[in-house]
Amino acid sequence: MTLTLILLAIAAVLFFWGMGAYNNLVTLKNQVQNAWSQIDVQLQRRYDLIPNLVESVKGYMAYEKGTLESVIKARNQAASALESLDKTGGPTEGSMKEFLGAESSLRGALGQFFALAENYPELRASENMKMLQEELATTENKIAFSRQAYNDQAMLYNTAQQKFPVNMIAGTFGHHAVELYEVQDQEAKKAVKVSF
Amino acid sequence: MAMDFWAAQKRARYWTTLYIALFVILTAVMAVCVELALRAFSPDYAETSFPIFGALFAFLTFIVAAFQYLNFRTQGGSFVARSLGAREVRFTSKNPKELQLLNIVEEISIASGMPMPSVYILNKPSINAFAAGLTPSTAAVTVTDGALDTLNREELQGVIAHEFGHISNGDMAISMRLAALVMGFFFILFIALRILRISSLTGDQGKKGGQVLVLASLVFFLAGSVMWFFGSILKSAVSREREYLADASAVQFTRNPDGIVNALRKIANETVTDMPDNGAYSHLYFDDRTPFSGLFHTHPPLKKRIQALLNRDYIPPEWNIPS
Repeated sequence: MTLTLILLAIAAVLFFWGMGAYNNLVTLKNQVQNAWSQIDVQLQRRYDLIPNLVESVKGYMAYEKGTLESVIKARNQAASALESLDKTGGPTEGSMKEFLGAESSLRGALGQFFALAENYPELRASENMKMLQEELATTENKIAFSRQAYNDQAMLYNTAQQKFPVNMIAGTFGHHAVELYEVQDQEAKKAVKVSF
Repeated sequence: MAMDFWAAQKRARYWTTLYIALFVILTAVMAVCVELALRAFSPDYAETSFPIFGALFAFLTFIVAAFQYLNFRTQGGSFVARSLGAREVRFTSKNPKELQLLNIVEEISIASGMPMPSVYILNKPSINAFAAGLTPSTAAVTVTDGALDTLNREELQGVIAHEFGHISNGDMAISMRLAALVMGFFFILFIALRILRISSLTGDQGKKGGQVLVLASLVFFLAGSVMWFFGSILKSAVSREREYLADASAVQFTRNPDGIVNALRKIANETVTDMPDNGAYSHLYFDDRTPFSGLFHTHPPLKKRIQALLNRDYIPPEWNIPS
């Protein structure tokens, strides 16, 4: 009788502990997903802006066809990497690596494009161009700022999974470490400088 | 050695609590003084031992302060912005500068994790900006035309981030509370002055009741003035401390000290001062016209603020801001 009671008590404690740990992980996971979707919105916005940008400079920069094409190519790659990342259920290991690689080459192509655009005074004066430039600048900034929030949330979620004894049940309920959105070199950490 | 931001924030909160406590104590002491003074001058008025005038003084002050505070609360930031003559900017605007301003505000609201406030523009050529509203959800950020025209994108971002710093550090709630208390004292002073005027006009000093009234008004006027004077000094002292913290928050949100530093430099170099001369809201924006120099200034000297930013005072190392 006493033994049964003790066992029941232990089972109850374990159950309530498990429930708390489970709910905590779910909350954290949702927060990570929310933070990621904030980035996602801004990334999509940028992928939409880039074709407009290229379209509106084509007339001015006829001789830089190669650069424009590489911007579009890098943009398409990054966009499809983001798409497959979203399909596979968020920023997990493999898909994140591919996305970060594609993003980094897009940044490189954009940087090159803006460096070249400095040589075209009529382009700098164009109202339409100024507007696109501002849109791109603010999107870059928003990506940079939401990345910070996302990384903070991802860190919290990962730490909660790794701590003992939660680490014994986390995998069972489908929780896995999420990847941080890290930008490698110090210069690239700042938003791409969108200016002429 | 950089001073710890969190420690400084804690210290600022501590001082603010202390100042408010001091305010309340001073009011109580003043109420006792009022009572004693009246009893000394007119001993025969007191048929009861209840301190009528002292209680009246304290009661009036707190009632007016509470009323004023509730007023500030319900009005929100937009009310303050509009009452200073600012107009709201929306994304439907066609002006690229205004759209850029909205973009910047949106960026910083992402960086700070706070809701997007209403944005206002004040038609003044000097560079200035302020945040008003007691909670993040009722906050409004206002910038002047001068700031919009003179500052570049990076500097404007720094200024907006500074205003968000005020919102996230809860500075508006505190300064509004202090402003409400100061208003309470001002009200007493004002009423007493009115009564003095009226009774001197009607010329009923001869009667005994009139005498007490004049005397009471005089004492209330003096007490109210003294409290208003010290209250204003305290209000300014609290406000000054919080400017440094808002500057540090600007660096925290933008991870870029250059924006706010260059903006402050531009402000230091300008000569126009034409912000509205409105006592109740004057602590929101900087204005160096107030007399008695340092004591009444709600903002520290720009040189000191720039120096604090350059020294990375208040900026903790974990923000990874290169020095």
